Amino acid sequence: MTKDALKAVLPWVLGLWLAGVTVAGLLWAPAAAGFHGDSFRIVFFHVPQAWVAVLAFCVNLVASIRYLRTRAPLDDARAAAAARLGMLFAILATVTGSIFAKLEWGMFWNWDPRETSIVILLLIYAAYFALRQAVVDEERRASLAAAFAIFAFVTMPFLIFVIPRVYSSLHPNLVEATQGAVRFKMDPGMRLVLFSALAGFTGLFAWLYSFEVRLARVLAARHSREEA
Amino acid sequence: MGVVIREVIVLNAGVVTVRFDGVTKRFGRQRVLAGVGGEVRPGHLLVVAGPNGSGKSTLLNILAGLLRPSYGEVRYLDGDVPLPRDDWYPRLGMAAPDMAPYEELSALANLRLFARLRGCYNGDGPLGTLLEELGLAAAHHDRLIAAFSSGMRQRVKLAQATLHLPEVLLLDEPSANLDADGHLRLGTLVERLKPTTAIAVATNDPREIAWGDAKIELAG
Amino acid sequence: MMRRSSLLAESLAIVCKELASELRQRVALSAIGLFAITTLIAVAYQIGPYSLAENDRPFLLSALLWIILFFASMAGLARVFVKEEDAHTAKTLRLAARPHAVLLGKLVFNLLLLLALEVVVVPLYCGLMGLRIEGVLGLVLVMLAGGATLSISATFVAALIARASGSNTLFPILALPLLLPLLVAAIAGTRAAVGSPELGAVLPALRAISSLGGVTMVTALLLFPVVWRD
Repeated sequence: MTKDALKAVLPWVLGLWLAGVTVAGLLWAPAAAGFHGDSFRIVFFHVPQAWVAVLAFCVNLVASIRYLRTRAPLDDARAAAAARLGMLFAILATVTGSIFAKLEWGMFWNWDPRETSIVILLLIYAAYFALRQAVVDEERRASLAAAFAIFAFVTMPFLIFVIPRVYSSLHPNLVEATQGAVRFKMDPGMRLVLFSALAGFTGLFAWLYSFEVRLARVLAARHSREEA
Repeated sequence: MGVVIREVIVLNAGVVTVRFDGVTKRFGRQRVLAGVGGEVRPGHLLVVAGPNGSGKSTLLNILAGLLRPSYGEVRYLDGDVPLPRDDWYPRLGMAAPDMAPYEELSALANLRLFARLRGCYNGDGPLGTLLEELGLAAAHHDRLIAAFSSGMRQRVKLAQATLHLPEVLLLDEPSANLDADGHLRLGTLVERLKPTTAIAVATNDPREIAWGDAKIELAG
Repeated sequence: MMRRSSLLAESLAIVCKELASELRQRVALSAIGLFAITTLIAVAYQIGPYSLAENDRPFLLSALLWIILFFASMAGLARVFVKEEDAHTAKTLRLAARPHAVLLGKLVFNLLLLLALEVVVVPLYCGLMGLRIEGVLGLVLVMLAGGATLSISATFVAALIARASGSNTLFPILALPLLLPLLVAAIAGTRAAVGSPELGAVLPALRAISSLGGVTMVTALLLFPVVWRD
């Protein structure tokens, strides 16, 4: 199969995969113990969304560092695209998370450490875009945004690692570390669906991201044609 | 004045040439500069002329390294060796309408600060002499800039731009707000610095255009 | 002519310049001071020494103190960079000084400003709210470390927003998410100092604050030339 043909087929494979994950998550996965009714099924969407929000934050960091080294407008476009998608998935994760929280703990919001972290992540994304909007000069916008993204990334671990020790977490722990080995507390069927969902959402992110980067490339090409 | 300037000639053995090619600058969708190129070197004064909004100040800012061009490049050459960007500013002096002195400091305190920052502070004497040579009488040296007229400010700006004997001097509308006397003093200063300093002047004043050995005419 | 000044001398020249202008204009000082005093009076009037349950007092009063300090600093710490852009003096400074000298000079000035604020506000707050401090030394350390870390992040964000339009509204928006970990740790440290005379009680918070300060300082030094020059 040629590269182009593969590129044409991949989105369809991704679509089928995600459809399969949705059906499996909602209908097939066995009920998990310790949850009210079917509320646990939201995990198959919530966890991958939160994962993609964090992944996008990392992609944004890499693109920002690259921009400061290469000064290529495309790297800035990459950073912005990752942040846009990251913000979208952070919002989705927050919404699905608070629906789950309402069903499970009776309240939409509890200021649980992980809830706090995702809100901070949302605030950082919002600040990132507020900064981008406030700078007119493209080159300056790109470097200021990159600098903010890197600075924010450096302070983020302090939230994730400092806050959870201050307060105790309500969040269900899906992974338990025992004697150095990581053991999963899940039913094999549930685990299969969750990992398939993680892979599917990562693929979805990659597809949307490549779409955005391609768009930026086309716009840049049009700009330089106008210059010529 | 003569004493100070003769010192310049002795000290500035290094010759820095600023060369720029295809400099284009876009602000959003608006294009300000399109593929401008040229050279600034000692003894070869470059005049940048053009109607308001044609990008004279933008070009000078790009030459100073204060603004990145959208396309094209600027190089500072020490002989044939390009200098890294970090080495541009110490060799550079600049005066522009958007470079105000500190209002809350006196004229002398402003110059003292910049001399200290540039590592060439040798007491107030030379700084006072420089101000007087630019036509600012000693009585004004310790007064706050806030009380200065715009012409007096312009003289402080010019002193700030030249106090460290720069190798590259960028002057954006240098005679703005200057009276006939001020203009004369500016002309003397430029003429004496010219042999050892790469100077670029952005202006539409015919008297200053006459200083130029080369001219870039930017379209509106 | 090439540069013959050291980084230290340049930073010092900038600190002196900041102090001279501040002494003459007192804009940052009065913005921060008035903000802090106004909120302090509002809080003291509304809550006072008696209206909180004894159990909640250490935590609530520590949190309130840091919220006052945080928002007061948001009112004035951005000025070091914003005023340079507003008064059109930034460009001259950019050409004359090394970026790191600018960062260090402005940072030291902001730190002095913040410490002056703490020296006035903290005793006043304790007096008005009837807050008894068991570990005074612990509190001093938390205030010093918290002030230093706060001024590092705030100074860096000030440099960022000074180059954007609408910078005064942008400052708290950008600074808040970056400063939240500090705020959490500083509140925890203050509460520990209120409740215990042992220095060990504030140690976990002190460790968190100073490691955050160290990491942000290094990052700020690395990134500042980009922010300041581009």
